[in-house]
Amino acid sequence: MLTIDIQIENTHHILTPSGEIDASNSVQLDESIRHLSESGAKSILVDGTQIDYISSAGLGVFMSYLEDFQEKGVSLKIFGLKPRVYEVFQILGLDQLISIFPDKESALAE
Amino acid sequence: MIKLPSVHIGRLSLLLSILIWLSLLFVDLVRLFGEINDLNSGIAPAVTWTLEILFFLSVYLFYTQNFQQNANNEFLNLIWRSSSTGIFASAAFLIIQLFYLFLGDSNLAEEPFLKNFFYHVHFALITVFLISTTLLWKKLILYQKTKKVVQQWQTFEIGLLIAMFFVYFTQDTFGYSFIFAFVILTILGGFLSVNLKWIPYLTYKEKWKSLLFLSIILLTSIYLFLQANALSGERQIYPINLLDNLFLIALYIFVFIYSLFSFLVTLFNLPTSSVFEQKLTEAINFQRLSQSIQPEENEENVLDILLDSSMSASYADGAWLEMYQSEKNESITQVRWIEGEELRELSDTLESSQAAQDWASSPKADTLEPFSLKVKKGKYQSLLLVPLMINKSVIGRMVLCKEIKDGFNKEMINIISTFARQASIAVENHRLLNQAIENERYQEELKIAQRVQKALLPDRLDHHSSFEICAYSNAADEVGGDYYDTFQQADDRYVLIIGDVSGKGTSAAFHMAQMKGVFQSLIQLNLSPSEFMIRSNAALSKCLERNHFITASVFEINTTQKLIRYARAGHVPTLYFSAKSQKATYLESGGLGLGILRNMQYEKHVDQKEFSYQTGDVMVLFTDGIIEAKNQKGMQFGFERARNLLEINHPLTPKEIQAMLIDTLHNFVGGNGLIDDDYSMMVVKFT
Repeated sequence: MLTIDIQIENTHHILTPSGEIDASNSVQLDESIRHLSESGAKSILVDGTQIDYISSAGLGVFMSYLEDFQEKGVSLKIFGLKPRVYEVFQILGLDQLISIFPDKESALAE
Repeated sequence: MIKLPSVHIGRLSLLLSILIWLSLLFVDLVRLFGEINDLNSGIAPAVTWTLEILFFLSVYLFYTQNFQQNANNEFLNLIWRSSSTGIFASAAFLIIQLFYLFLGDSNLAEEPFLKNFFYHVHFALITVFLISTTLLWKKLILYQKTKKVVQQWQTFEIGLLIAMFFVYFTQDTFGYSFIFAFVILTILGGFLSVNLKWIPYLTYKEKWKSLLFLSIILLTSIYLFLQANALSGERQIYPINLLDNLFLIALYIFVFIYSLFSFLVTLFNLPTSSVFEQKLTEAINFQRLSQSIQPEENEENVLDILLDSSMSASYADGAWLEMYQSEKNESITQVRWIEGEELRELSDTLESSQAAQDWASSPKADTLEPFSLKVKKGKYQSLLLVPLMINKSVIGRMVLCKEIKDGFNKEMINIISTFARQASIAVENHRLLNQAIENERYQEELKIAQRVQKALLPDRLDHHSSFEICAYSNAADEVGGDYYDTFQQADDRYVLIIGDVSGKGTSAAFHMAQMKGVFQSLIQLNLSPSEFMIRSNAALSKCLERNHFITASVFEINTTQKLIRYARAGHVPTLYFSAKSQKATYLESGGLGLGILRNMQYEKHVDQKEFSYQTGDVMVLFTDGIIEAKNQKGMQFGFERARNLLEINHPLTPKEIQAMLIDTLHNFVGGNGLIDDDYSMMVVKFT
């Protein structure tokens, strides 16, 4: 089960997926991010505190926007990942490409 | 055993009846001779009576046999046989009369022997006509028989049998006892005569024919009766009265009553004949619809039958059928008796009719009933809209048109909605069947894919005397995205690869095949592990879908230098047991998955490391399916569990270590738990 909540704080769009992100629902995540990017969001923050698990298909969604966002100058930040989920990002090497922060404050401070 | 020759009862009884008739003739002529010449021939009347009874029985036997063999039991055929016998008998009577007319007043005309001969001929003809007709009537009466009717018939037959012997007791033809017995038999015959169930099954045309035949039977039987009466009047000429027999008279009255009843009932059935035929057609149509699920029939056939059946059930002047393929894109599949222009007009009328639109958009689709509509202008004055539904959703509609107002009554609507329901079921069954066939085909294709993919994994691994190796792979679905392989680059240099495509299933399987192609090409170039990863990334970036990536680990083993060089591209870290420290650890290094950064920047993220190995060291390469496998409580198998297992079990052979890991994994996941991802491993032990 995956539910995605989107809130706007100042200039930031905060996207909160909760549950497990796997091959069956990664499309949902993809649609939410694409929707934000198309609606002109310049700063997207992903609140990772509610993510219990992310599969390679879920990682693929974040990965697929890297170049696109770099070109458009959209900033994508992830914060508050659970250790086990963070580990998955780390093993794949995505932590080197996406800004990952321990909490919301540090993400906004950057 | 003495084998009896098989006797043909039919022919035997025919021969027998002819012989009996001849002997009856002989006996009576001898008696007549005696009477004329005042000689006592000494032949008692009982002899004649006995022969007469024997004659009745043999004729009865002959016809019973004859009808049993004759399979043609059509009602019309039966009536025709009876009437043809009647015509034959009457014709014979007429010829004999003409013969006497021709003789005039000659001596021969008064010849008693000749007269007696013809008397016996008459007797035989009347008997044959009555008995054969009775047996034919028996077939008609016992059509759709019940136990009660069979019992009534048997009683009647027993009564007739007794009537044959009546003549022994009294010769007083119209005495009280005779009248009494006659009345009883007539009542029995009358009761049987109400069994006319065959009549409704005749078609309109057949009814007219049967009326003709029945009237012939009635006329001939009246004629034969009058003739027989005339003969009985000249009693003095004939020494023994054969015709005033209770059996014959009872048969006569039965044949007459049944023919008369049949005639009248058929006559009065004529006007309602079409209704019965209509009902019969409906029943047959219904059967056709329910049987139209044969493989050789298709959806089109079903709809064809539905439209024809519904039109004939409602006497509609025109009709068409629309099947909805997808949202609002309806296609007219069948049209009957309506021109294109009219069809468009009627469709427009329906579109603009508020009531019809309300009906179509009714939320209670599962109880949607046919809907009849009045049309003000145009040729057709009433329309009936019939929905076709599968699983509570409307798949199409049939529109029936009539040129008269209020053309559809309740009975028609009932039968048509039944037709529509039955047709919907047939259509649904067809669709399900097609789906099942399609699925079967996909399963078959997947099996082929599975076989092809299995062939992509090596069936034997390159190995050297300084290490033992084994590998295992399992896909979550039929096909998966895991890959492992080995290469021998030189006598002392081996490369091991393990890779994992993001996602699983068919798309992963295709990417896995691409990965193998890329790896197999690059391995020929003798690149260092880090260079290998950079080139692989460049190659795979061009062929992977945007949201797909591959993780891989490459190990180069130099057996002379006992050195391992490796690079990790986002793959699960490799587990390594060191014999020296007796500890298992994960080989740490940076490294980004392949296909994530699709430009030259990737080079910055590759990390190559090297170390020396010793005898007794164990290396376990796996994919994340193992580490991320979850048990029923949602706990992951995890890195730590795998590490501990290797530390404890390192003395085992690679095969045993592999089996141990897989068994533990399955036990961890639980009896019926499925591992939701592809998982593979390769175990190497240095000797």
